[in-house]
Amino acid sequence: MRSHYILSILLFFPLLVIQTTIVPLIAINGITPDLIMILLVFYAMRCGQMYGTVLGFIYGFLFDLITGTLLGSTMLAKTLAGFIAGYFSNENKVDNYLKSYSFLMIVLLCSVVDQVIGAFFTTIDLNTNFILLFFNQGMLPGIYTAVLSIFIVIFYPKRRIS
Amino acid sequence: MYKIFSNIWENFKEYIVLVALLIVSLIILSLNQKPAVRKVKSLAFGAFAAVTSVVSDVVNISNVRSENNHLRKMNAELMLRISELRQYGIENTELKNLLALKDTAKYPLIPAAIISKSLSKYQNTITLNTGTKNGVKPGMPVINEFGLVGIVSSTSKDYSIVKTLKNTELKLTVKDERSRIDGIMKWNGTNLVIIDVPKTYDVEPGDRIITSDLSSIIAVPLPVGVVIGLSKVETGIFNEVKVKPFVDFIRTEHVFVLGIVENKEIKGLELNFYNHK
Repeated sequence: MRSHYILSILLFFPLLVIQTTIVPLIAINGITPDLIMILLVFYAMRCGQMYGTVLGFIYGFLFDLITGTLLGSTMLAKTLAGFIAGYFSNENKVDNYLKSYSFLMIVLLCSVVDQVIGAFFTTIDLNTNFILLFFNQGMLPGIYTAVLSIFIVIFYPKRRIS
Repeated sequence: MYKIFSNIWENFKEYIVLVALLIVSLIILSLNQKPAVRKVKSLAFGAFAAVTSVVSDVVNISNVRSENNHLRKMNAELMLRISELRQYGIENTELKNLLALKDTAKYPLIPAAIISKSLSKYQNTITLNTGTKNGVKPGMPVINEFGLVGIVSSTSKDYSIVKTLKNTELKLTVKDERSRIDGIMKWNGTNLVIIDVPKTYDVEPGDRIITSDLSSIIAVPLPVGVVIGLSKVETGIFNEVKVKPFVDFIRTEHVFVLGIVENKEIKGLELNFYNHK
């Protein structure tokens, strides 16, 4: 279990390199998937809600620090996303979730929450159309992220029956 | 007492941790302008940028051939344009001499490559492989061959972070090139918009938008974008003007930092200034 904890932090850095160098090349109309969110949901589901919340906080902190975004905004959004992902960390069902399209739905949910909260702290003003904000800044990047998370579903190993 | 707390912790520990971390995040959110926080940020992105620059070089190699062809074509077009402008330049110098005007249009360009991009709908930033060692300072404008890319927000010795036009934190004074109307432009998460433009003002789709001379950050008129439409606000007296930027932020790989040297005399007179907190 401890190796999971270390690995989840170590994996963040190469993934952030990919997120900031390669992912922009696959942007569709400025919308990019969030690979870090996929990793966060994966570990939150495997290691529990408490771990997901703390990991979201750490990921957000490192992301804000390294990319120069408003320090605290991604932290807050990812902490909440990790908490929500942790809801689905039922020990008996986690393998089923990770091996089915439920994982995509969970990634979509967490990603939308992450994006909308991020947007709330940066773009909201009195004239903001909340439905448009939800769709443009929440749903679209969320769907793209969820679609990419299909690779986890495909490549996640089947549980061995002992 | 201990048992009560222990029970509360056991039953609600996830919620307690969540609330505690959210409070910490909000506190950190309010500390963004502190010099110490900025220093830590510049150290962190400086260390990480050293890694991303290597990956970025590898990724960009595949684009070099097509970019070379594009640059050759652009070179030829620019050569024709230069010969045309040279003629105007000579005439301009002669006329300026006649009027005894000072030539102030000399700005050093610091070349830089983009080594990483943080593309989000609301906080678009890019990292450049040039920093204080090359004379880059926060507040300097960043341009490419199409126009304004953004403003340097923080620097380390070898790297700098730029807030692009698609960043909600960046607000610029701009001008309609045709009608000479000034306004404040910002990114609203979906579009670049010039806000609070009176409906009676003469702004039309197709007008070119440039940086205004009222702005102290960007003293030279740089192309920003083109007006693509006016929001149809039924009530009130103001319109919102939608602007399409000239720069394609996803494809841009090389830029120049405009090394504008601050002039204390001008700075003292400025109305609109960049906050160097």
